[in-house]
Amino acid sequence: MIGVVTPGLETSVQDLPGRIGYWEQGFPPSGPMDSWSFRLANLLVGNGPEAAALECQFIGPALRFDAATVIAVTGADMKPKLDGQPIESWTTIPVQAGQVLALGSAAAGARAYIAIAGGIDTPPVLGSRSTFHMAGVGGVEGYALKAGQALPVGRGRAVPRRRVRRDRRPEIVARRDWQIEVVRGPNDDWIDEEGHRRFFASDWKLQAKSNRTGLRLTGPEFTFAPRAYEKRPEHGQHPSNILDHGYPLGAINLAGQTPIILVNDAPSTGGFINPYTVPTATFWKLAQSRPGDIYRFIEIDIEAAQTLRRQLDRLCSLDSLEPI
Amino acid sequence: MIYDRPRFAPGGDRIIEFELGDEMSFELNFLVHTLARRIRESRVKGVIELIPEMASIQVSYDPDLISYRDLTEELLTLRASIGDLSSLELASRIYYVPILYFDPWTRECTEDYRAKLAEKEPDPDLLVRMNGLKDRAHLKQVHSGTEYWVAALGFWPGLCSLMPLDPRCRLTAPKYNPPRTWTPKGTIGLGGALTCIYPDQTPGGYQIFARTPMPIWDRLQRLKAFKSSLALFKAGDRVRFVPVDRAEYDEIAARVDDGSYEHQFADYQKFSIRGYQSWLAEIASPQREAAQ
Repeated sequence: MIGVVTPGLETSVQDLPGRIGYWEQGFPPSGPMDSWSFRLANLLVGNGPEAAALECQFIGPALRFDAATVIAVTGADMKPKLDGQPIESWTTIPVQAGQVLALGSAAAGARAYIAIAGGIDTPPVLGSRSTFHMAGVGGVEGYALKAGQALPVGRGRAVPRRRVRRDRRPEIVARRDWQIEVVRGPNDDWIDEEGHRRFFASDWKLQAKSNRTGLRLTGPEFTFAPRAYEKRPEHGQHPSNILDHGYPLGAINLAGQTPIILVNDAPSTGGFINPYTVPTATFWKLAQSRPGDIYRFIEIDIEAAQTLRRQLDRLCSLDSLEPI
Repeated sequence: MIYDRPRFAPGGDRIIEFELGDEMSFELNFLVHTLARRIRESRVKGVIELIPEMASIQVSYDPDLISYRDLTEELLTLRASIGDLSSLELASRIYYVPILYFDPWTRECTEDYRAKLAEKEPDPDLLVRMNGLKDRAHLKQVHSGTEYWVAALGFWPGLCSLMPLDPRCRLTAPKYNPPRTWTPKGTIGLGGALTCIYPDQTPGGYQIFARTPMPIWDRLQRLKAFKSSLALFKAGDRVRFVPVDRAEYDEIAARVDDGSYEHQFADYQKFSIRGYQSWLAEIASPQREAAQ
């Protein structure tokens, strides 16, 4: 068991690929936003990449271990300490019974991951341990960690101490600007050419009102193609309105004039257009960016997006670890 | 209209939007659910999840197993295999949903909204006025006078979009502007031409005027109806609202609380477009008054 001393800010249990098979009933997949850092944390402690681990957001938790085990911390730099002594991130760390791991606030990036040998063993709900706290599903009784809770842990196996090679880690530094890949569609034909040009040529600022559901952006106004005006009344009045349809994860959802990038805990359907979609391999950038950061979008095609995903999957393997 | 040739659009590296038409109609939605069933039955390689909606299906897939282009070809072939729409049949259950019209909870919620967010006409009065009805009793009669088709699920776990099957009972309403920050669990709302049941306390934008004590979603899976699924409805089910009085409402609510409540429903029956269309033809006049 692991005792939660302090919970941090919305620290949650997540697993991969998350809750699959219930999207049509309104359940998003959930799962870790930065699945690159998440998978490597699990590999460092001898777990499969999919095992349940903790996602910390902006401020990490303090945890007390009641038995000896190995852990790893990856992702955002939250200055982890074990019984007050700084420890290295991206490394297998042995801990003794009674020791306390404490994470601080993120010095670079936004989301850190804590994996424990054997994985977190909370009861799966609809096939997944991932927390979807908006509906109180999964995780620990449906919600983010609370002080005083105890987390069950599965049985781990002995692993050598290893670290993630430098060139196999996501580049998480204190930065203000990001290049974010997007694929056009599904509703790019509702935006006019000048609107597309402006979208790709402008800086987009990440608002503080962003979370695991969506990332809100501030930037110039969109302009629309004739299709957005010449439509049946059931689509709605505003040019960004469309007959209710499914929302892809990563969709840049245009609600009025506010683009919201839909991420892991997003609504499954709704009545706004999605002119662009951020591909899977770029999600770690969304996960590690902070309010006030600037996005510039670049267009890639479907094949390039799929190639990026395959390359990332290859990085999330044991080949990326080296002995200490 | 239903497109002669469906449209495809990508949603990043692992999703296809498969658009079959551009209007809200029963035939189009029936086609969506029939096609969704065929995609599942034919176990198209690489397909992970489907979200059938009003006029489109979102398909998520594993690009390591099938390419975007090959998947669109598979989907086109399945669409072409559906011949004449009128011969389609779909298995559909019907649920009987007890409903208390003009209940105190939705009234309290609307009053809270009017006090804190924006002044507006009380929701039932707005529905009566905009739909040319005589009074609230008339609204209750029209709203409960039809079976509804569960056209889609989504936005929130368990939330259902209901289309009235009897055109004489079609009601329309604008949505809240700005939306509500909260809605009581079990509230019945109406926006556009759709009715919805709010599965939990959530934000919302539909006009509200009634409440059901019958849960349609239960994350703790206490009642029998939720043993295999947290959400009650599946797309293609039907709903009939059964008006109850306050005493019946409280009795049902008490049985829900003690865990003994059993949902009233009729199991899967064949629902056919031809049967539906001939029933529509039998209705002498498309005027609402004819139903009374």
